[in-house]
Amino acid sequence: MNRTEAEARMHEVQRIMERTTLYTLMPGQPAIVGGILALLGCAASYAMIRSFDFQAVLGLPLARQFGFCAMWAGIGIVAVGQEIAWTSRAARREPSVMGRPARITILSLTPCVVIATVITIKLLMDGLMQYVVPVWMMCYGAGVYAAGLFSLRLPRLLGIAFIVMGAIGLLAFPDCALVFAALSFGLLHIAFGLIVLARSRQDGEQ
Amino acid sequence: MKPIQPGKIDSIIHEPARLAIMSALAVAPEMTFKELRETLSLTDGNLSVHARTLEDAGYIAIHKTFEGRRPLTTMRLSRKGREAFRKYLDMLRSVIEHGESGDRDAD
Repeated sequence: MNRTEAEARMHEVQRIMERTTLYTLMPGQPAIVGGILALLGCAASYAMIRSFDFQAVLGLPLARQFGFCAMWAGIGIVAVGQEIAWTSRAARREPSVMGRPARITILSLTPCVVIATVITIKLLMDGLMQYVVPVWMMCYGAGVYAAGLFSLRLPRLLGIAFIVMGAIGLLAFPDCALVFAALSFGLLHIAFGLIVLARSRQDGEQ
Repeated sequence: MKPIQPGKIDSIIHEPARLAIMSALAVAPEMTFKELRETLSLTDGNLSVHARTLEDAGYIAIHKTFEGRRPLTTMRLSRKGREAFRKYLDMLRSVIEHGESGDRDAD
């Protein structure tokens, strides 16, 4: 065996270990916590606007409109923050193999979050609040799908589900954004987290 | 740590599909047949054949059980397998650092 072949094999071993570790250490808890936060946000939103349509926010006084936006920004920051904390914890446990997967996840999600933020600003400027949720669903789904390309099927399925639901919400039900937010960012995340947890528990018991 | 015998390659691990199985099991405490198949993109037949070779060599333990009515096959790395995998990686590092390595152990 020569050096080139040895390097190729070492690279392949590393790739498989990263891929496997990303799957086995993929934590279910942050998805569940994120889902619960989203559901709480949806409940609070409904209490504020008394409608499933985000467009109703524009009927609120300006101070409450800012409060509404700040609440969702806060939920987003807390949800992403706790996700990063969990991933960092996993990366510290397995620094040799988790560093790159953690980076891939962050790099895959960042462009989508930036795009969604820019589109959101434009939609807010044009008073088109009803399209904010489906846009975020599709952008987030695209990011999760991209990150999932380096892992197993489950995150990719989550990404596809977000994109499909976002597209349906955008094209057919823009006046039901709150329902779609609860179904996707809330229930879909919780279901995903529970499946991951169940799989980890199954592995631990065997 | 024992010194590595120069020029010795463990041909059981050296086969790419078997190396992939060993690599995956080295970082997961245990994986089901389905999980391994998905992770490594192997066919059922391929995975079965190579897993059996590794089991015969004592490198992995295969556990067959039932989940409800469905058969569930799980695999884990044995102590001997972990040691062999570590030696194989040491051999790779040695080749990367010092150059060529020759013969294979046995098939």
